[in-house]
Amino acid sequence: MKTIPPPCPVPDTGPRYWRSLDDLADTPEFRQWAEREFPAGASELSDPVTRRNFVKLMSASCLLAGFGLTGCRKPVENIYPFSKMPEGYVHGLARFYATAMPSRRSAIPLLAKSNDGRPTKLEGNPHHPDSNGGTDRYTQASILNLYDPDRTTRFMQNGNLKTRNDVVDFLKKFSDGAAANGGKGLAFLAEQSSSPSRARLRKIITDKFPQARWHEYEPVDFDIQRQVATVAFGQPVTPYFKIDAASVIVALDSDFIGGEENLHVNIRQFAAGRRTQTSGDPVSRLYAIEGLMTLTGANADHRLRLATSLVPAAAAQLAVEVLSQTGKGAADDAVQSLAKSYTGDKAWIHECAADLVANAGKGLILAGYRQPPMVHLIANALNAALGNIGKTVIFQDAPEPVPGTIADLGKLLSDGSVDTLVVLGGNPAYNAPAELNWPQLQGNPKLQVVRLGYYEDESCPQNGWSLPLAHYLESWGDARTADGTLVPIQPLIEPLFGGLTEIEVLARIAGLDDTTPYNIVRETFRAVGGGDDEAWKKFLHDGYLADSAAKPVDVTLNAQAVSAAFAGAGPASVTAPSKDNLEVVFHRDYKMDDGRFNNNGWMQELPDPITKMTWENVFLMSVKTAKDLGLFSPSKENNRIQAVWAKIELDGRTVEGPVWTQPGQADNTIALALGYGRSQTGRVGRNSGYNAYALRTSKNLHCALGAKISDTGKLHSLSVTQDHGTMEGRPIIRESTLAEYRDYKGKHPEGNFAKGFDMEKPPSFDPLYPNPFDELKKQGVHQWGMSIDLSACVGCASCVIACQSENNIPIVGKSQVANKREMSWIRIDRYFTGSPEKEDAIQVINQPMLCQHCEAAPCENVCPVNATTHDQEGLNVMVYNRCVGTRYCSNNCPYKVRRFNFFDYNRRTLEQLSGPVYSTPLLPKGDQHGVLDWLKDPDRGNKPADEWELLKLIKNPDVTVRMRGVMEKCSYCVQRIEGAKIAAKVRAGASGDWMLKESEGTVPKTACQQACPAEAIVFGNIADPESRVSKLKAQDRNYNVLDFLNTKPRTTYLAKIRNPNPKMPDAYEMPNSTEEFESKSHSSPFDNKDAWPGSEAGKGES
Amino acid sequence: MSDIFPKWTNRLPLMIIVGAVLTGTAVTAGCWYYLTNKYANVGYMPVQPVAFSHSIHADQLGMDCRYCHNAVEKSWYSNIPASSVCMNCHSQVLKDDPKLAVVRESYATGIPIHWVQIHKLPDYVFFNHSVHVNRGVSCVECHGQINKMDEVSQAKPLSMAFCLECHRNPAAKLRPLDKITDLDWKPASPEQQQVNGTKFVHDWKVESLQNCSACHR
Repeated sequence: MKTIPPPCPVPDTGPRYWRSLDDLADTPEFRQWAEREFPAGASELSDPVTRRNFVKLMSASCLLAGFGLTGCRKPVENIYPFSKMPEGYVHGLARFYATAMPSRRSAIPLLAKSNDGRPTKLEGNPHHPDSNGGTDRYTQASILNLYDPDRTTRFMQNGNLKTRNDVVDFLKKFSDGAAANGGKGLAFLAEQSSSPSRARLRKIITDKFPQARWHEYEPVDFDIQRQVATVAFGQPVTPYFKIDAASVIVALDSDFIGGEENLHVNIRQFAAGRRTQTSGDPVSRLYAIEGLMTLTGANADHRLRLATSLVPAAAAQLAVEVLSQTGKGAADDAVQSLAKSYTGDKAWIHECAADLVANAGKGLILAGYRQPPMVHLIANALNAALGNIGKTVIFQDAPEPVPGTIADLGKLLSDGSVDTLVVLGGNPAYNAPAELNWPQLQGNPKLQVVRLGYYEDESCPQNGWSLPLAHYLESWGDARTADGTLVPIQPLIEPLFGGLTEIEVLARIAGLDDTTPYNIVRETFRAVGGGDDEAWKKFLHDGYLADSAAKPVDVTLNAQAVSAAFAGAGPASVTAPSKDNLEVVFHRDYKMDDGRFNNNGWMQELPDPITKMTWENVFLMSVKTAKDLGLFSPSKENNRIQAVWAKIELDGRTVEGPVWTQPGQADNTIALALGYGRSQTGRVGRNSGYNAYALRTSKNLHCALGAKISDTGKLHSLSVTQDHGTMEGRPIIRESTLAEYRDYKGKHPEGNFAKGFDMEKPPSFDPLYPNPFDELKKQGVHQWGMSIDLSACVGCASCVIACQSENNIPIVGKSQVANKREMSWIRIDRYFTGSPEKEDAIQVINQPMLCQHCEAAPCENVCPVNATTHDQEGLNVMVYNRCVGTRYCSNNCPYKVRRFNFFDYNRRTLEQLSGPVYSTPLLPKGDQHGVLDWLKDPDRGNKPADEWELLKLIKNPDVTVRMRGVMEKCSYCVQRIEGAKIAAKVRAGASGDWMLKESEGTVPKTACQQACPAEAIVFGNIADPESRVSKLKAQDRNYNVLDFLNTKPRTTYLAKIRNPNPKMPDAYEMPNSTEEFESKSHSSPFDNKDAWPGSEAGKGES
Repeated sequence: MSDIFPKWTNRLPLMIIVGAVLTGTAVTAGCWYYLTNKYANVGYMPVQPVAFSHSIHADQLGMDCRYCHNAVEKSWYSNIPASSVCMNCHSQVLKDDPKLAVVRESYATGIPIHWVQIHKLPDYVFFNHSVHVNRGVSCVECHGQINKMDEVSQAKPLSMAFCLECHRNPAAKLRPLDKITDLDWKPASPEQQQVNGTKFVHDWKVESLQNCSACHR
């Protein structure tokens, strides 16, 4: 039957995200949608649905679903090909573009994956000279911000909607006005940036408008390194650390592994010094002096627990010791008098100094951003005195004009000498020092504020313009990485909501003729890399400009300047905090940073690497302090963790929050994480934590004494993913000291060091029934396996977020986390070892735990529907469409790595994240989605259309989005393995040459491996004896977790080697966990080594 | 005995018989419906916005499949050609034909043609075109003789059983790589196919992938 073809249909109404189709970018529908207001924040569910109602509703929905589905089994779906084919485009092939994520004074070089025009995954750029392809957790999570349904989508003036053209006209007029009066009354408040283009525009603006003021503010500011180095060396320089060249590292309250700038570089370099192949390899040693328990302290060989405000005295004492031991003269008077107020362990400092002196030229002293200039001066002076400069720390030119501070700007604003304030990024109304009372300053009706922001947050002005900021994946830009290499920032997608970049706004204010960000960046590049188009193309293609790293500058310590600075750098002496004079420390949060990731669900739900807290911040204090103050009552009610709700008072300012104890933290110190407690944020960040900025003033930016805390009598429930402190003597983690390791290897050259810990020998007899995998295995061309090096792993949790991004893992919300229903496939198990009474000796160890892909998998035997089985290459695969949700597999998993979708987490609204239960009313009720809605549109679930459409874009198309009632777990990134195999087979064509080989670079990396800056995770073919993973598994540190169960896991671990200094007062012969193992009625792990000769272990064979 | 078996157990035989009959009916009805090609949509022939005839283009004019479906060797997805590809010829040939009005309009306005999808796999199946057509599996195996179809319809059930038929015994279907898009090609004899197929499986190291991860991820 022939029909007359219908006329060419018009596009369906509604939004389109395929922004690679340029012609669709400006449809009226899209405009209209983009300018629509957010769905109103629905209130939380106050009436918890009873179980009975819930079951009724569920059965009703099943019934209705049954009726509904018979009628519409196969909906008609359309295919929309291009009208005009873009050249070189292949639908369905992922493409990678080199770009970079800007950070404060640096950038992280990236390769961004684009699936049909939408960025879906970020990976480090391994070709960049200062990168191994690893990233930090902030970078991995930043892609979710791009698809945040709560980001600002509209242009506004005084709260009224405007169009982009209005803004362009306004900026033109504004620029002309400023040019006429030389920028009088114009002030800028920007975030820090390493972008040469921004620096150029800033210069144009300050030249053109000489009276305009430029201020920069970062609530967490690492610039002190540069400021102090500039004073100490008498020239504008900034340090670049070579941690891998140092064999002794002393961190003076410097959390370089977890909380400073350039984490991915620091972790890479630190891990390089800790990884060993044989017992003879050198291992670096890390001393940490710190008040909070940080990731750096967790990885230290020796940790001195000292309140943050006492660290300057310890640093001074260290300086005195080092100088007296080297005989290079006495320390400066100011330093000596400061050292006199040091009351801590002097022997510790003495031996630490001795180690530094013994390793002169191979040592490194790092000072943290929370410390006053005094400590930084000491660090620089010591590095100079020990000859470390040029070896473990080099200095680069940093000739930047010094911008004004926010306090200066505050003064100008209260004087009334500013008419127009341009706020570029940042969120000063939330995070400016409390005494400035920024919201009031900025809200002055006589002031005109032009604010470029990513969210309609606390700083969104009612007295001026609010412009949406483009995400860096939507922007043209440039930046310099830590080593000074120039990197491009390339957009992967048109701005989803028509946002502007900082560069474009500045160019418009400057009144430039050409305000296209691309042309501005291109122009900046011309000055550095030449005008050659080929050079530019290569720059974009490679993602960096070769040989553009800053040249190290020869510096000599300017002794006079340092002396003078010492005198003025304060503090002259320190006072120890006490019970009545508590210290509060404000720190960069491991997840929220300074608050910029507040509305990022992945980050909110990521367990903090140290506390394992999710969805909020707490008042952290040591166990002793909590007991002294009577705040120690982690009671459990209804299986919920309850914490005391307390009130902190500091200089008349108060904040309330829950108290949580942190083993290993200095006594009488309260740690307050920044970045939570936002009053205006998106639907994810709402109601998470308290606002620590409320206590933070310019005087006490990092740490303050004199706080008081009181119990309010209330309790608060927390969602903490791990609260057990010991391994109960089980050899889950195996660690030892370097001395013990070498001693053992001297006695047993052939022995397997790590194997000796086993509680029981695995059964050596043949199992009753043969393992079907033994037959299946013979068909496999590759055999996949993984090795995780506990010596290298620092516990930074980049892998957790990378896995979430790669594998479409949903977030579940605080109440679900409290129900232990978090979904992440890889978790970092953090163990404290040692006694809570001896907090000085607390040790921390991290272990990434993911599906072990056991060859004899206990989960497979118990699945009634064969939904989890083995494939021939050794993967324990999970078949979602077969799973019926009995959860037997999870029950039977000894490693507890399986995750169950209790609800349709992908379809829950963001509001429901904080709701108590999953409520689905039968009929649509208000803005609640009912069962009938679900029938009409089964695809969308509860989510409002905008949220759903946007969040769909981030999904990896190669991984199934799982639904309710399905078990899931780590798949070794099977999509990457299959993708690599398919690519190899396509290349092979009519030949049999398609085996993946590491030498040819065709073996895929798992997402966690790729993100790991420490290279602690190595994945590969264990059937190939030359592969990296095979070689690691052949090491004598290799062991299987719970080996005595004989599950033959494919994921194995390398035991951690600590490197304590035997001369230290807190030296230990064995790590705490090993002592505990011994004390729990097992014999010494190192006695029965002869029972475990050979190194066949770990290859998954018995 | 009444202590052990309550009174209602007297009705148990009847209940078992009725239950068995009902279950049997349900099973029969289920198989009747679900295990047929009809359920698998074989013969699905929706009306397309443009009356494009594969029979004219591929059979009579002898065009190769890959002229239009050019990504099939590179991507998991065999692309539907852009309107611009049609216009490569039709800006010269039949350039005023009313049947092609939709294509010309799409080319001029940039609005895509709304083709109706015919061959559909469930979302949890990850089928890759490139690895099949580059390794000896012809289009015809799944799509049937498209070159004889005026209007395209689904020829094969595309069910899991259908996939496994080939995955269990690839030798029965593999053909020389230069015959992939030759939809009329037939092996000389079934025996010859078995000989050639076995040789291809051996030489190209073709895996007989039957584990779950081959298609489900």
